Amino acid sequence: MNITDLKREDIAQIVSLKNTDKRFMERLMDLGIYESAKVTLLNKLAYSNLYLIEVDDIEICLRKEDAVNIEVRK
Amino acid sequence: MIYLLAGNPNVGKSTFFNFMTLSHVHVGNYSGVTVEKRVHHIKHYEGANLVDLPGTYNVSPSSEDEGIVTYSLLNESYSGIVNIIDSTHLRRNLHLTLQLLELGVPTLLVFNLRDALRSNGYVIDIDKISKRLKSNSICVSARERNNEDRINISEKLKNLRVYKSIELDYHPHIKWGLQRIHDLLRYDSLKVKKKWLALQILEGNEGIYKFIDIVKEEKIREVVKEVEERIIKDEVALSLKGAIFNTRREFINDVVDDCLIQVEDKEHSKYFNQKIDRILTHPGWGIPIFFAIMLAVYQISFGKFLGVGALLTTYFEFIWEQILVYNLGILLEFLGVTGFAYGLIIDGIMAGVGGILIFLPQIVVLFFMLALLEGTGYMARVAIVMDRFLSKFGFNGKSIVPMITGLGCTVPAIMATRTIIDKKERMLTILTIPFISCSARLPIYVIFISLFFDRYRAVIMLGIYLLGIIVTLASAKIFSLSFFKGGGSKFLLEVPPYRMPQLRTITYQALEKAKRFIKKAGTYILLGSIILWLLSNIGISGININPEDSFLSNIAGFISPVFIPLGFGDWQATSSLISGFLAKEVVVSSLNILYVGDIASGFTTLSALTYIVFASLYIPCISTVATIKSETGSKKWTLFSMVYPFMVAYLVALIVRLIFSIFI
Repeated sequence: MNITDLKREDIAQIVSLKNTDKRFMERLMDLGIYESAKVTLLNKLAYSNLYLIEVDDIEICLRKEDAVNIEVRK
Repeated sequence: MIYLLAGNPNVGKSTFFNFMTLSHVHVGNYSGVTVEKRVHHIKHYEGANLVDLPGTYNVSPSSEDEGIVTYSLLNESYSGIVNIIDSTHLRRNLHLTLQLLELGVPTLLVFNLRDALRSNGYVIDIDKISKRLKSNSICVSARERNNEDRINISEKLKNLRVYKSIELDYHPHIKWGLQRIHDLLRYDSLKVKKKWLALQILEGNEGIYKFIDIVKEEKIREVVKEVEERIIKDEVALSLKGAIFNTRREFINDVVDDCLIQVEDKEHSKYFNQKIDRILTHPGWGIPIFFAIMLAVYQISFGKFLGVGALLTTYFEFIWEQILVYNLGILLEFLGVTGFAYGLIIDGIMAGVGGILIFLPQIVVLFFMLALLEGTGYMARVAIVMDRFLSKFGFNGKSIVPMITGLGCTVPAIMATRTIIDKKERMLTILTIPFISCSARLPIYVIFISLFFDRYRAVIMLGIYLLGIIVTLASAKIFSLSFFKGGGSKFLLEVPPYRMPQLRTITYQALEKAKRFIKKAGTYILLGSIILWLLSNIGISGININPEDSFLSNIAGFISPVFIPLGFGDWQATSSLISGFLAKEVVVSSLNILYVGDIASGFTTLSALTYIVFASLYIPCISTVATIKSETGSKKWTLFSMVYPFMVAYLVALIVRLIFSIFI
């Protein structure tokens, strides 16, 4: 499953970022989004096209097409 | 003594910087890079300066701005580092801290936002964290501007020394790589520790190769590649950087669990944030709310209804015209200054500078309101709301922030595009933003509307702003389909919590803008007014001539036929547009000087309309062009940024003329 499969306020652990490109992955890493990090889905915005997630107390907004590439496990 | 101030973005770094230094502003440049370098003297510490580095998550650069951190650590001479940390986001902030501590130079850790952390129900055990991180630490709240904190920090800086530098237990593959690179660096003479450099190289810090000429660069790159392959093959992590990141994160988690103490159980404010977010970023309501807020900002700054700015301008105008200019005129007559000199002072300088200076209150109010919006954290929500809409035109949701800034001034707007990571999207934003009507262009509209369209004030004003936005979007679409095809289109936005903006900071920002505006009036506009008046009053036959025989008339007369199709082909209108390249405010100053206070005589209703349309879109001012040059680093695109708007302005003005010639 990936981030888009989560429900609001679900907490999950990131399993893999395999499908994201390298540069974007580094950017995610800067914000603390990486394997084994805990992520909370706070909100789905703009008709579920944007996902607001929380990692280490930071709120981050990303697009659906990128959220799909972040595989998680509940 | 020089100390570098480093920290993540949005952690109150600027607040801390202003708090520690108070005065003695010095702005310079980093050699080789054209990014502003802020250096101030530290209060309570004689002879010590603080250098403000750009906010960064990482020592390795992922944007041009962040390259400066690597550059400074490698090449600047400094006595120590001050690392400012957002106490409410320790886990993320400490990644940068670890990289700085690994460097092994004297470092002071400033845990900022003590008050915010406390209201979340937590405190930091400062002694414990100092021990764990082997460094000097202090917990403060820079917002409170407590003088005792300031003295304590200065004292700590005076006694700053290196403890044993921190060493993490990285994976054996990484350790192997570190040793290999360390050996290969023996041919280089370096200012920093080789071990640190080796680790940065392994992490993929390209800035190192850029800023230092490493003898064995090729060999080192091979080692990095090999380590990366081993890491992936043995499934240690997804990448080499990831493996290093994981080790650091484990260490950080351990430190945070150990040193962050919960003293009170409080419901986290993020759920409150979510409730507001759901309204402000609502797919249906979000955009109308945004427009309503922007309209309110405009009404308060420029409108008649709620118009604080416009009201202040009325007073300002009265003081300038009725008191200052009037009495100066009497004084000059009393001193026996007449004719040419009198004209230069009253009709040249005072008319030119005054015509613009009276807009100062409105512009200050606008900047105040924009700073207020930014201070609340609302801008990030606007980026969310607008992302889908803007991405259709090749923009990024983040482009909205420079766009809104562009309503104030194009120069900071272009600088604000640095947050857009994708190069194509950034270029697209830089090249199209000058079409957004900046506050300098506003006086042009105001003057013409009051002369020709007073009954349709709101409609024309709204129309001209909408036109700017439409041209921006259309140009972006064209560019994204041609020059900048296939932009990365990634949107990754850190959403800050809602904050109560600080009146002090906002007022400071607005007053800074006011200072710049006055400075511009005293330099560009003053000079422009003098030159313009002289050129329009001197000709081949000498002074005191018919303006039609002046030098300016001759020069502008060459070009003015170009504008005949647009309806304003006289030399005065042409001269005002040429002088507008200096600064858009000069357009109004020139019109005042050249039509000797009677602008209405030079235009018809239709040509007034095409004139404001043209003036709102044509070539950006010289400061904007210079900023585009330094931000894009490309002569080609800088030239383009001047030619393209001219063509677009001409075309749009022509269309407007054709359409409105039916009605007017």
